[in-house]
Amino acid sequence: MFSEQAAPTAQGLLAPPSAEPPTFPRVAVSGYSDCSQPFQLGQRSFCRQYAHIYSVRLAGMRPSLEQRARSRWGEDVALRKLSELQAGEKCCVVGTLFKAMELQPSILQEISEEHNLVPQPPLPKYIQPSDELFLEDELQRIKLEGITDMQRLVTGTILAVYGCEQEDGKFLVEDHCFSGLPPPLAWSGPSSDRFVLLASGLGLGSVSGEALLSTQLLVDVVTGQLGAEGEQSCAAHITRVILAGNLLSQNTQSRDTINKAKYLTKKTQAASVEAVKMLDEILLQLCTSVPVDVMPGEFDPTNYTLPQQPLHRCMLPLASAYTTLHLVTNPYQASLDGVRFLGTSGQNISDIFKYSSMDDYLEILEWTLLAGHISPTAPDTLGCYPFYKSDPFILTECPHVYFCGNAPRFQSKLLQGKEGQRVLLVTVPDFSATQTACLVNLRDLTCQPITFSGFGADSED
Amino acid sequence: VTYKWLSYTLGVHVNQAKQMLYDYVERKRKESSGAQLHVTYLVAGNLLQNGHVCHKVAVVREDKLEAMKSKLSTIASVHVYSIQKALLKDSSPLYNTDYDIVKTNLQHCSKFSAIHCAAAVPRTPPDAPQAPVPTRSPPGHRDPGAAGAVNGHGPPAAKVPPQQQKGIMGMFAAKAAARPQDTPKEAKAEAKEAPGVSAASSKPPTKNNIMNNFFGKAAMNKLKANSVPEQPKEEKEVVKPSVAVAEPESSPNTVAEKPGKKTESARIQQKDQKSKTKRVDRSDDEEERDPENVKKKRKRIKQLLSDSSDEEDVPPSPTPKEERTPSPPPAPALKTDLGPASTEVSAGGRKRKRKRVLKSKMFIDEEEGCMGKTG
Repeated sequence: MFSEQAAPTAQGLLAPPSAEPPTFPRVAVSGYSDCSQPFQLGQRSFCRQYAHIYSVRLAGMRPSLEQRARSRWGEDVALRKLSELQAGEKCCVVGTLFKAMELQPSILQEISEEHNLVPQPPLPKYIQPSDELFLEDELQRIKLEGITDMQRLVTGTILAVYGCEQEDGKFLVEDHCFSGLPPPLAWSGPSSDRFVLLASGLGLGSVSGEALLSTQLLVDVVTGQLGAEGEQSCAAHITRVILAGNLLSQNTQSRDTINKAKYLTKKTQAASVEAVKMLDEILLQLCTSVPVDVMPGEFDPTNYTLPQQPLHRCMLPLASAYTTLHLVTNPYQASLDGVRFLGTSGQNISDIFKYSSMDDYLEILEWTLLAGHISPTAPDTLGCYPFYKSDPFILTECPHVYFCGNAPRFQSKLLQGKEGQRVLLVTVPDFSATQTACLVNLRDLTCQPITFSGFGADSED
Repeated sequence: VTYKWLSYTLGVHVNQAKQMLYDYVERKRKESSGAQLHVTYLVAGNLLQNGHVCHKVAVVREDKLEAMKSKLSTIASVHVYSIQKALLKDSSPLYNTDYDIVKTNLQHCSKFSAIHCAAAVPRTPPDAPQAPVPTRSPPGHRDPGAAGAVNGHGPPAAKVPPQQQKGIMGMFAAKAAARPQDTPKEAKAEAKEAPGVSAASSKPPTKNNIMNNFFGKAAMNKLKANSVPEQPKEEKEVVKPSVAVAEPESSPNTVAEKPGKKTESARIQQKDQKSKTKRVDRSDDEEERDPENVKKKRKRIKQLLSDSSDEEDVPPSPTPKEERTPSPPPAPALKTDLGPASTEVSAGGRKRKRKRVLKSKMFIDEEEGCMGKTG
């Protein structure tokens, strides 16, 4: 995108100083509205059981699932609850999926440490051929059989199964379906080129120096200091930067200080303090030039459970002085120039990755969209706030751009739905590892990765 | 020497800096002098990678420049990134130079950039709180440089607290006439959100003006209830040992609801000398700013706790911190904050004042039934 427009003046700066060089005004954001209110928690009370979230999830998604079941298996398909099942009758049941996995880390096994049993080490994937599927609804559960590619499914998905109950009490499934793509949102995108930069996994606070130069290059490109005139004028079209989580690196998470004696750790500072200072400086440079949305991630100093609340302003004293800094929740939903963005910092996708046979982050991202839920594995294997009134992770409208941060590599896909939905799926790569960020063009929903490199990269090519 | 360093040092547009570097290189090379210059370039363009057309931005050494250019299918820009005498092994010196120069110019980092963003303005008190996010919790942090900046919080809990605080601040500021700059600093450290208020308070010479200014500024400030209690707390605590301003001074205090506080502040104003010393200490403490603030506060609290209560000159800074620590962040009522605050101060501060303060404080405490210590 940049290159075509910039090419003519590419060599312009290889010349003696000219007259006053032009400055380009940043393209103003015409319409920004933060739609992530459902993800913002006010008073939090953890006195409730997590069972409520499943029941509201089921109640919330039941209508759309029933509608989809009817459209798929016929208008007159019998919709039954588990308690109403009769043996041998073909019917459709809507319920929550539960996958019983042997390897799933369980708190009981952790307690077994007390008995000197070896605790289970973290595995990349916890699936096993012997996993079983159960369907649960409000009152009962039943074992499912016959689902093809059952390893792809994860606990917490609401789905509709079509089949019949057998004599042994198991449900033989002939077909199953999810709620599908949510209803489409009206499109009112911009008519001229506008870009949004998506980056995640800045990973500050780690020891790697190479990544710092790339981060500085990223900031320079966005603020317009780098590049010839053509490129700078293109960069002026970047209307927003969204940092999708993991601004601090995993190294800042060291919890050794908890184990050491107090007198040893009194003078030591948490590693995250330095990292946050660095983050503040980087954000300040960005904020003076472009609106920035900062989403917290797995290693950032905010709460652990989803939805993660915004980082606190106090941590970023220099940057918070600017109105262009927006500290937002994870997951984050906003409407920019008429284009609806929805995304997370990647914890939901990586959790599904661990419990499902799907390997491709983009595939998982698409699957969550089709399943109609941002993060079905919460609260089972992913920390979540005990919602009881409604589940904010249910997708009620189809966003135009759906992204997830901290993916291993960049991928993007434009998904077209039957009802006219157009979604751009983007997996934003981890910047500290790949030095790649994404540029989304709001006009035509295309995405281009942008890579930065310093000297070290020379030898690779 | 990187282009960014040159741009900041000479105060020129970044593009001009790049051109200057290029010009220098060309001229030096033409002169064919002995000194060997090593140049790094920035190349950007399109590259086919993993099936995507990827936009690549790379800093390359001169010898690799042509190779990189040939790899890119379209070149978007090429310019000189830096010049150095020695051959660089890696890019960390480049990064360090840029980092240092940016750090010293943090406030103006976009001045010489090619893109200017109209929306990027620091928050100022006169602006209605633009901040869209309602979940910003209390003590916001302030940009040290901007005296009037910050605060993007929702509408203040009540007009009263600011006014009350204005009154107190006004009186306090009156004393601070000798040291006008202390008040803003102190207020900053304490309230973190109403430096503008304190600054306003310190500037005008007369007390009435101060108070009037306070009303105005505080009105504009739209402080949250939190920060508001913090400030009066702080003020009280500071003002306690301060000079006696005549009782009538306290009466102009707009807040009618908190008679206790008024008496308090009146008493507080009876100690003039203390206020000065306290303010001195305070300003010193305030001087150390934001990044260290949190740490310093913790240190000061510890200091205060370890200090014997007999000390007359307890460093004022711990006390504000103390005041702050007992009050939970979302302290709804001004009273509650003031309650523990004053008790804390009295606890750490002067014994002889303690009684007086205690009397009034106890009144408030009993009113509140709050957790403040009465001892």
